[in-house]
Amino acid sequence: MSWTDDLAPPAPYDKARDEAQRSRLLDVWREPTGWRRFSAVNNSIVGRWYLLTSFAFFVFAGVLALLMRSQLAVPENDLLSMDFYNQAFTMHGTVMMFLFAVPIFEAVAIMVLPEILGARDLPFPRLSAFGYWCFLIGGVFVCGSIFFDAAPDGGWFMYPPLSSDPKQTGIGTDIWLLGLSFIEVASIAAAIELIIGVLKCRPPGMRLNLMPLYCWYVLVVGGMILFAFPPLIAGDLLLEMERAFGWVFFDVDKGGDPLLWQHLFWIFGHPEVYIIFLPSIALIATILPTFARHPMVGHSLVVLSAVGIAFLSFGLWVHHMFTTGLPNISLSFFSAASEAVAIPTGVQIFCFLATLMLGRFVPSIPMLFASGALAIFVFGGLTGVMVALVPFDWQAHDSYFIVAHLHYTLIGGMLFPLLAGIYYWYPFATSKMLSDRLGKWAFWLMFGGFNTAFLPMHWTGILGMPRRVWTYSLEDGWGLLNMVSTAGAFIMAAGFAVLAWDVLRPKGKQPLAARNPWNAGTMEWSGEVPDMPWGIRSIPVISTRYPLWQQDGLLGQVDRGEWFLPDAKEGKRELMVTDILDARPMFVQRVPGPTYKTLLCALLLGGVFIFATYHWWVPTALSGIGFVAALIWWLWTGTGLIPEKDSKDCSRGLHLPLYASGSRAVGWWAMFIMMIGDMTAFFGLVFAYMFFWTVHESFPPVGTVPPDALYLLLGLALCLGAWALVNTACVWNRNGRREAARTLLLIAPIVGLTGVAAMGWACLASDLNPTRHAYDATCWVLILWLAGHIAAGALMLPYCAARSWAGHLTPFHDADLRNVTLYWHFMAVTALITYLLLGIFPLVSGGTA
Amino acid sequence: MKYPRLISEGSVWIVATIPSIWAGHFLLCYWVAAVWCAKFSGTVPASLTTPRWIIAALTALSLGAIAFLAYRALHSYGGTFSVENEINQNTSHDRKRFLGHVSLLLAALSAIAICFTAAPALVFARCW
Repeated sequence: MSWTDDLAPPAPYDKARDEAQRSRLLDVWREPTGWRRFSAVNNSIVGRWYLLTSFAFFVFAGVLALLMRSQLAVPENDLLSMDFYNQAFTMHGTVMMFLFAVPIFEAVAIMVLPEILGARDLPFPRLSAFGYWCFLIGGVFVCGSIFFDAAPDGGWFMYPPLSSDPKQTGIGTDIWLLGLSFIEVASIAAAIELIIGVLKCRPPGMRLNLMPLYCWYVLVVGGMILFAFPPLIAGDLLLEMERAFGWVFFDVDKGGDPLLWQHLFWIFGHPEVYIIFLPSIALIATILPTFARHPMVGHSLVVLSAVGIAFLSFGLWVHHMFTTGLPNISLSFFSAASEAVAIPTGVQIFCFLATLMLGRFVPSIPMLFASGALAIFVFGGLTGVMVALVPFDWQAHDSYFIVAHLHYTLIGGMLFPLLAGIYYWYPFATSKMLSDRLGKWAFWLMFGGFNTAFLPMHWTGILGMPRRVWTYSLEDGWGLLNMVSTAGAFIMAAGFAVLAWDVLRPKGKQPLAARNPWNAGTMEWSGEVPDMPWGIRSIPVISTRYPLWQQDGLLGQVDRGEWFLPDAKEGKRELMVTDILDARPMFVQRVPGPTYKTLLCALLLGGVFIFATYHWWVPTALSGIGFVAALIWWLWTGTGLIPEKDSKDCSRGLHLPLYASGSRAVGWWAMFIMMIGDMTAFFGLVFAYMFFWTVHESFPPVGTVPPDALYLLLGLALCLGAWALVNTACVWNRNGRREAARTLLLIAPIVGLTGVAAMGWACLASDLNPTRHAYDATCWVLILWLAGHIAAGALMLPYCAARSWAGHLTPFHDADLRNVTLYWHFMAVTALITYLLLGIFPLVSGGTA
Repeated sequence: MKYPRLISEGSVWIVATIPSIWAGHFLLCYWVAAVWCAKFSGTVPASLTTPRWIIAALTALSLGAIAFLAYRALHSYGGTFSVENEINQNTSHDRKRFLGHVSLLLAALSAIAICFTAAPALVFARCW
């Protein structure tokens, strides 16, 4: 007996009702026009902005690549200055990785995911828009620096001690550190949005075993972002603190160690490769069944591959550090994991091939790109198996062999599948088709150009050419190979120009594409032509993996409004939230519409990062205050709103609540997921502490007094006390003791802030000076982290009290307070770990007082 | 409407736990060897006898835990294991079987990866 058996049959079709419903839906979901378009938050618009901006950055980084190839075309060339060349290769890597490869995943997912789920939008449309604006502002800031000869020039992985010394690397490094930290806000925002989208916004009936493979990949990659990006944020914090204030983390003379940065960077950097690769493979996994006219063979094997790769990819980071002198046994663990990851990677490729063999292959431009992708990627994967072997890597490290390898994996594993996706989903996004003839030109120019450019680099590398050299001499014997590579690069660029022309050329006279032009089976093709802004006319029950193939008459039912939420009588944008396992309807989530607040918040937060880069502290502080104020305004007016009634009729006799709090609510999950990422960044700092302990004979060093035990303990007690007060306030509020709960919410921040002040005093009392030794700096940075977080938590509490006073938070409508309580659970853990590291660890680690 | 409980009824935890055991095993092996070599190796490379035994024990323990979870997963899956199995029916039973199937496949992958991780301990007798 399933819940769908209780549904009433659809009402007989009534044209007038259908038109009235359509008109109301259109009113609610209509996008702002003209200048007001900048206030749009709908996934299809934000996704399109994201996509175009990412490709603009791709073109920028591609032009830098062409400049580099021009410089390297002939020996002893002086087309570019050495300084500019340094900036060019740093920016090329940085922009391609941070401003193209990762954001393009978010772009495609924000656009496609809700539609593939048969949902109207993602659960936090304003968060998507905020993330986009952060990405745009941060990206323009980082890229713009090259026009002022101020771009970062320390290589895309920014190794200290070169990067930690402000005398050797100028403002560019600060731009890199702060600009990219700012952009990472966008990535984490997108990860939260997408994970919750997959878990909670699936259409009713779409159980986990029926979920499309694309969603599995998005879920896995979202999870990877949460664990991979935060260590880099921690690393950025340490490096910027050393550059700006002289705190010691990487200076060997004062107990620091540059290898710490390499660890933190590559704990991010290697999963990052898979964060880029998996979403693109997800595109192939979605496209391929369409053109094989056959469901994916080995559905669970592909899910296994995605999950397996996600985990194993976190055990590979040291393979970027094989030449740093770590013990052989340590290197071998990472070599072993690097070989093991080839297993799940191979499994999914075999599944793809099996699907093609069992199906009826229909040639098309998307499949042309997908086939090219597999060919290139397998080649790059095989050189990956080679460089995963330590002795081979010792020979190839930092040579053009590596440049060739990484471009084969990234262009084969990421760019070509993405281009397949562009051809495939272009009619979905624009209702127009791209040209087949131009598509073939684009493919063969890019495929041929790519191999001409990068295949010779394997030989150039074997012949000894190191990466990142500005020029070389004739006697080196690399001239011919480099000339061939340069020619290939320009051929590839020509292919991209053809693609860009095809995408951007005016298509006003071209007829609209047919609905579902590729005859696909997934829900994103259920959209009407021309496209309507509401996502889907009515939200159907899904009972198969390929609904458009396997559920007869589904499109007609959706179009006639026979399924859920076919109307917008209350004039609100509404989504359906379902449970994680079986996607049973739980409640209706109302999402906010267009606003400028997200843009304002992004501008102000951008101000904080940009002004801090130049050490303009007053504007930094003013931007920070402005950001907090704007954020509170956004939250106060747009979130946790109490609906005008408790539940609503979703059609077919299904009544659902309009409000949820605690672990049923999407906001609670967003907080939980964000704090998982936050804790990972904190563990990056904990890792720094433990790393220093392993490299020093005594940590704390001889003669250093650890933080004062009594004040530390007092600080911990107060922080935990604040946490207990918050918990009590939450319970009291739920029990109707609202006045008492408000009082606790005003006392708790004072207690928490006093607690962290006591911990800070413990460090001061022991005379710990962060510019003296890595121990002192590490203690202080842990305190700083805790203080920042307690301060943020302290702001949330009066906010909840004010919401309660204003009547926006009641014993039943307590989502805000439940989310804040969850935040404080994480604060308690952070405070406890900080105490254990600073107070207890020195007692057992053999450190001397 | 009644919703299945995520942890107890969903068996999702088994999907996440199996590769987490690989991750735990991997990190512990790395840390044991790294800390040993950093702390106990002076000018003479330290012998790895103790870490090798610890790694052997960790490997046995991890493989045992994976075998146990694989047994649980087999129970959810409820059938004779076959590598390719569609499991695409619209029932809670099939959702459970699907997660069981993915868990079993992950158990196989994780067990292989754990053996890969343990292999260096068979080779190296000293820190460098």
